[in-house]
Amino acid sequence: MTAANVDELLKNPVSFLDDSGPDDDIAISSRIRLARNLQKFPFPEAASAEVMQEVCEIVSAAACNSSSLGGENMLVFYPDQMNALDREILLERRLASRDFIRKPETRRLFVCPDESCSLMVNEEDQLRLQTIRPGSQLREVWKSIDAIDNDIGRHLQYAFDEQLGFLTSCPTNVGTGMRASVMLHLPGLVLTGQIAPTIQGINKLRLAVRGIFGEGSDNWGNLFQISNQNTLGESETKIIDELDSVIHQLIMQEKNARRTLLENNRYAILDHVGRSYGLLRHSYKLGFEEAMQSLSGLRIGVDMGLFSSIDIHKVNELFIKIGPAHLRKSHEGEYPDDALDIFRAALCRDTLRQLA
Amino acid sequence: MLCDKCKKNEATVHIKEFHNGKCTDLHLCNDCAGAAGQDIGGAQEIGFNLAEVLFNVNQIAEKISASDRKKTPAEKKSCPVCSWTADDIRHHDGKVGCPECYKTFQNLIKQAIAQVQRGSLHLGKRPKGAKNDSPAVKRNELNSLKKELQDLITREEYEAAAICRDRINILKAELEIIEDGGEK
Repeated sequence: MTAANVDELLKNPVSFLDDSGPDDDIAISSRIRLARNLQKFPFPEAASAEVMQEVCEIVSAAACNSSSLGGENMLVFYPDQMNALDREILLERRLASRDFIRKPETRRLFVCPDESCSLMVNEEDQLRLQTIRPGSQLREVWKSIDAIDNDIGRHLQYAFDEQLGFLTSCPTNVGTGMRASVMLHLPGLVLTGQIAPTIQGINKLRLAVRGIFGEGSDNWGNLFQISNQNTLGESETKIIDELDSVIHQLIMQEKNARRTLLENNRYAILDHVGRSYGLLRHSYKLGFEEAMQSLSGLRIGVDMGLFSSIDIHKVNELFIKIGPAHLRKSHEGEYPDDALDIFRAALCRDTLRQLA
Repeated sequence: MLCDKCKKNEATVHIKEFHNGKCTDLHLCNDCAGAAGQDIGGAQEIGFNLAEVLFNVNQIAEKISASDRKKTPAEKKSCPVCSWTADDIRHHDGKVGCPECYKTFQNLIKQAIAQVQRGSLHLGKRPKGAKNDSPAVKRNELNSLKKELQDLITREEYEAAAICRDRINILKAELEIIEDGGEK
């Protein structure tokens, strides 16, 4: 199979950020991933390079014989043949995990052309299948990934136990092997100080809440990922229904918080939006975190109808384009560390100038 | 206080968790907390309750490997397929080596699952063409499901009970067909 190049990905916008989806003013994207392993093979952590290679070949054959990952147009990435920068691009586009790109040997990644579904081979589990769509639509994402799983699974013998379901490297994934998550933009709850009790409440329901870039980045861009923790003892649809109802409540809470802000602190919120726009439109150096916060501020303004000429999807795309790897990729060559902040500011200035 | 995970460095991160009315404390050094809670970098998620998994799985694995230490290498329980021991599972943060480990370390895994999962029986989808259509396997599953149904009713989890009941009915029908000598 011919190796794909990340340049092919960069030509097109990421579909889950570019297309419209239900409640996409608050819910950015819905994602489900399934963990699967093959019978009679050790999991990647315990497997030799030869075994991992064999698993790569078996899964590749199954992926090629299935039409659901893009058929002839499916992109195949060989991480060990890519440079570190290109691997980081996969990470920033949410196609691969940090662990996957950190140890690129004997691993493989299949991506359908619009990036809505992908399959990592030999991550923590031998197969990690993911589907991602814009807005809040977990049920539709489930229908899609369930069909892809069936399609690829026709060619594979999965490790499955009658009692425990799909067997996974970590017992925290056993059963359905499913992790469903929705990424929410919750600036209203953050600005009104309601986010901490809200997160505590969500944790009590045994759902996990993370920032977009994990620990230590909890408030970056006011983006939060809410996902299920439980994978055994409930069906996929029940897990999704429960998560979906929490997501729906959070969206309502966020709308209420924004309404309260407009009614009680109108000038504070207008000032926040205006300053965010000002930074993005007029800065000459922008750090990653500062840019994320400003994009969040701009996004509230767009949602509130304050910037009629700015397309929300262009703002969404910036969340990815301002990532260090994407910036380096578009400015190849040698430059000092703070050059990224200069490139980032220029990208934001130019984008907003074109949109204004 | 030493780190609960590596037992070498001073613990600087303290996590307190409440679950089923029980409180568990986890104390980690910077390195272990960083490794365990490493960023999700967009696509990777940490889909489990960190404190519970590390604390409980490691505690159980620690007990087993402590008793293993008194044994000679030949006496230590190891997986016949991947040769992992309880020590290996502990060193990999509760991950197991292969599908067979689920049988080899059944007790250890059962306890870990009881801590981190809501149930003990899979009620989700099954792989198409799973080789599970022998009458013995079906009868075995039927018995487990009947027990699970009783548990679910006792716990008043009626939605899961309904799914369980439906599977029981399907299995019963399938067994009848097989036992009547009809199509498999």
